[in-house]
Amino acid sequence: MQSGIFHTSYRADMALRRTHAEKIRLALFLVFMLAFPFFANRYYLTLANQVGIATIGAIGLNILTGYTGQISLGQGGFMAVGAYTAGLLTARMGMPWYASTLIACLVTAAVGAVFGIPSLRLKGLYLAIATLAAQEIILWGVTHWDALTGGVDALVVPNPTLGEMVMNTDFRFYWVIWAVAGITALTTVNLFRTRYGRAFVAIRDQDIAAEVMGVNLFRYKLLAFAVSSFWVGMAGALTAHYRSIVTWERFTVDVSVLYLAMIIIGGLGSVSGSFFGAAFMTLLPAVLTNMGRALKSTFPFVDAILPFVQQAAFGLVIILFLIFEPEGLRKIWKDIKDYFRLWPFSY
Amino acid sequence: MIRRSLYTLIAVLMLASVVLTACGGGGAGGGEKAPIKVGAIFDLTGPTSDVGTPYGEGVKGYVEWLNANGGVDGRQIDLISADYAYKVDQAEQLYTQYVQEGVVAFEGWGTGDTEALRTKIAADKIPFMSASYSANLLDMNAAPYNFLIGTSYSDQGIIAMVWAMQDWKDSGHDGTPKIAFIHHDSPFGQSPIPDMQAFADSKGIEFMTIAMPKATDFVAELAQIQQFGANYVVMHTVSSPAAVLVKDAKSQGMMDSVKFINMNWCADEIFIELAGDAAEGVVGTIPFTPPSSPVPGHEDADKWLQQHGSSLAEKGLHYTQGWWTMAVMTEGIKRTIEAGKDLTGENIKASLEGIQNFETGGVTSPISFSPTSHRGNTALKLYQVQGGKWTAVSDFISAP
Repeated sequence: MQSGIFHTSYRADMALRRTHAEKIRLALFLVFMLAFPFFANRYYLTLANQVGIATIGAIGLNILTGYTGQISLGQGGFMAVGAYTAGLLTARMGMPWYASTLIACLVTAAVGAVFGIPSLRLKGLYLAIATLAAQEIILWGVTHWDALTGGVDALVVPNPTLGEMVMNTDFRFYWVIWAVAGITALTTVNLFRTRYGRAFVAIRDQDIAAEVMGVNLFRYKLLAFAVSSFWVGMAGALTAHYRSIVTWERFTVDVSVLYLAMIIIGGLGSVSGSFFGAAFMTLLPAVLTNMGRALKSTFPFVDAILPFVQQAAFGLVIILFLIFEPEGLRKIWKDIKDYFRLWPFSY
Repeated sequence: MIRRSLYTLIAVLMLASVVLTACGGGGAGGGEKAPIKVGAIFDLTGPTSDVGTPYGEGVKGYVEWLNANGGVDGRQIDLISADYAYKVDQAEQLYTQYVQEGVVAFEGWGTGDTEALRTKIAADKIPFMSASYSANLLDMNAAPYNFLIGTSYSDQGIIAMVWAMQDWKDSGHDGTPKIAFIHHDSPFGQSPIPDMQAFADSKGIEFMTIAMPKATDFVAELAQIQQFGANYVVMHTVSSPAAVLVKDAKSQGMMDSVKFINMNWCADEIFIELAGDAAEGVVGTIPFTPPSSPVPGHEDADKWLQQHGSSLAEKGLHYTQGWWTMAVMTEGIKRTIEAGKDLTGENIKASLEGIQNFETGGVTSPISFSPTSHRGNTALKLYQVQGGKWTAVSDFISAP
């Protein structure tokens, strides 16, 4: 019988997984993720892969917005940098896909740091507009810099191969995406146990206080932009290799807003929240569409109004979440865990 | 209390989603008279829904009409469709789901989804038609399963220039006219520029291009056009900015000295409605005959709509466009069945490639495909807004 989680040593307090239940849940989750592709059909694999890529992108954005407190509307643009860099290196220079993915991440990190420079002087809404400008500038560059990107035409990327194997089938790329997602999650969780991570959080909580304590704001803000953009670029690069085509319409400002919604709904400043948010925002349209289809056979009139109901439901669910649980899905998940752990003595 | 009921709500939603998605994944039927599954995605709520909705209704309408009239060789077509709100990720989700369910052909919609899916449809061997007429979909290596029903944007641009040269001569001028091309600032808008530029160079036409910014008026762009001294302006955008531009041109008194030629996505009923008086005299390259110029190919659709309390005039030319796009796809399916071959994407592609001079009752010029070309249609008629209606002003003109 427990009334809460209490630690008796610093070691226990600092551990990533602090209780047996957490370790068991993690093991169960891993077993599920390992077994999933063998039972899932292609549709579920596609959904899982989309969730995986969105998770990587959302963790990236969360490092910047959730942990460091620098709001960014440039997500779509940074993903485009990653996708086009990876695509161009592989398509034009014949570089292997894994190498181009890594370089794309580094290039995106550099681009992110450059667009992060205004963050030294701008905060909040002003920074939002500055990053929105980054989004627009990058997309404009992508569609107009014909010599580099091919401009008008979509960029076809050769299928990624490993030996003789074509990697970007839904089944095979699942392993790539989720391995990377695992690495992303692990490094990010650990990042915030280092002095760098703590500096990011200090900047979020009160930047002046952080500077007084000796945190070099300029350096750490740019670093936050770079680290964040690294993973966002990864999400873009993986998209390019997974779909083997890059089009600018995948990286519009809608995408930036969608990712912001993911981390707000999932939970700001949380890796698991990024995953919950990514899964929620990716799967919700699919769930709504399939619910609509199931209803259509029973109530034919649903057909005509269905798309509008779906749009409204999408908005409604988001608003309800924000009203009832502003701390996001992560908090809901925590409450559920606490409820069972502390039952029957919860208070 | 509120919190508890919220959890119940979430639990119910999650349970419902699991149950429903599990039900959704039924296997493909393989019986002799089993329905033929065709997948489709439409934009009914997204940024292009104003034209996407009638287009989608046209595709659906054709299937309903066909099924009511016995289907294809006694088999019904099961059109599985959903709204994707012009979101690429959702287009991918729906596409994979429908392929999983065993669709043999796919109807898409815009440039975004058509481009994003084209490598996957080639790998899955699913014949694909959409309302995106970008000429780079004609590359047989890059897009072997894409078929274009409408005249490509490049061909439309060139036909507009051919017509302009003739009109210039007919109105008693010497030499060649100056032509400006003003376009949507996107790959959709830019795609015909290289081909049009090459054509202009070969004919010695002075040619300029301007990208339309996101703006509430286009006075600055019109000033540029006037400075250039354009006699004709070819416009390639969607209806609402096109309407704003001609209204601005009218208030600047440019309508007498300059003729506007709109390409298909800004030459429809919506353009006339939005531009009002300013639309008068504007010319359009329209690959699908609008209902205001009745042809035999409109009759089935119109009758079907009237049985259901509507009419083709009400739905407009995009309904016709969707209707006949689906009709051509169905022709491929029909020929595959008649040849006694299995209904696979590969066989349907081969059947589509055998289509020669397929008549659409005058809605388009006859459609032909071949194994080396998926350019279904290279000709169209030009129409002019006269008395608030698109009226034909030419016969079918082909791009040279």
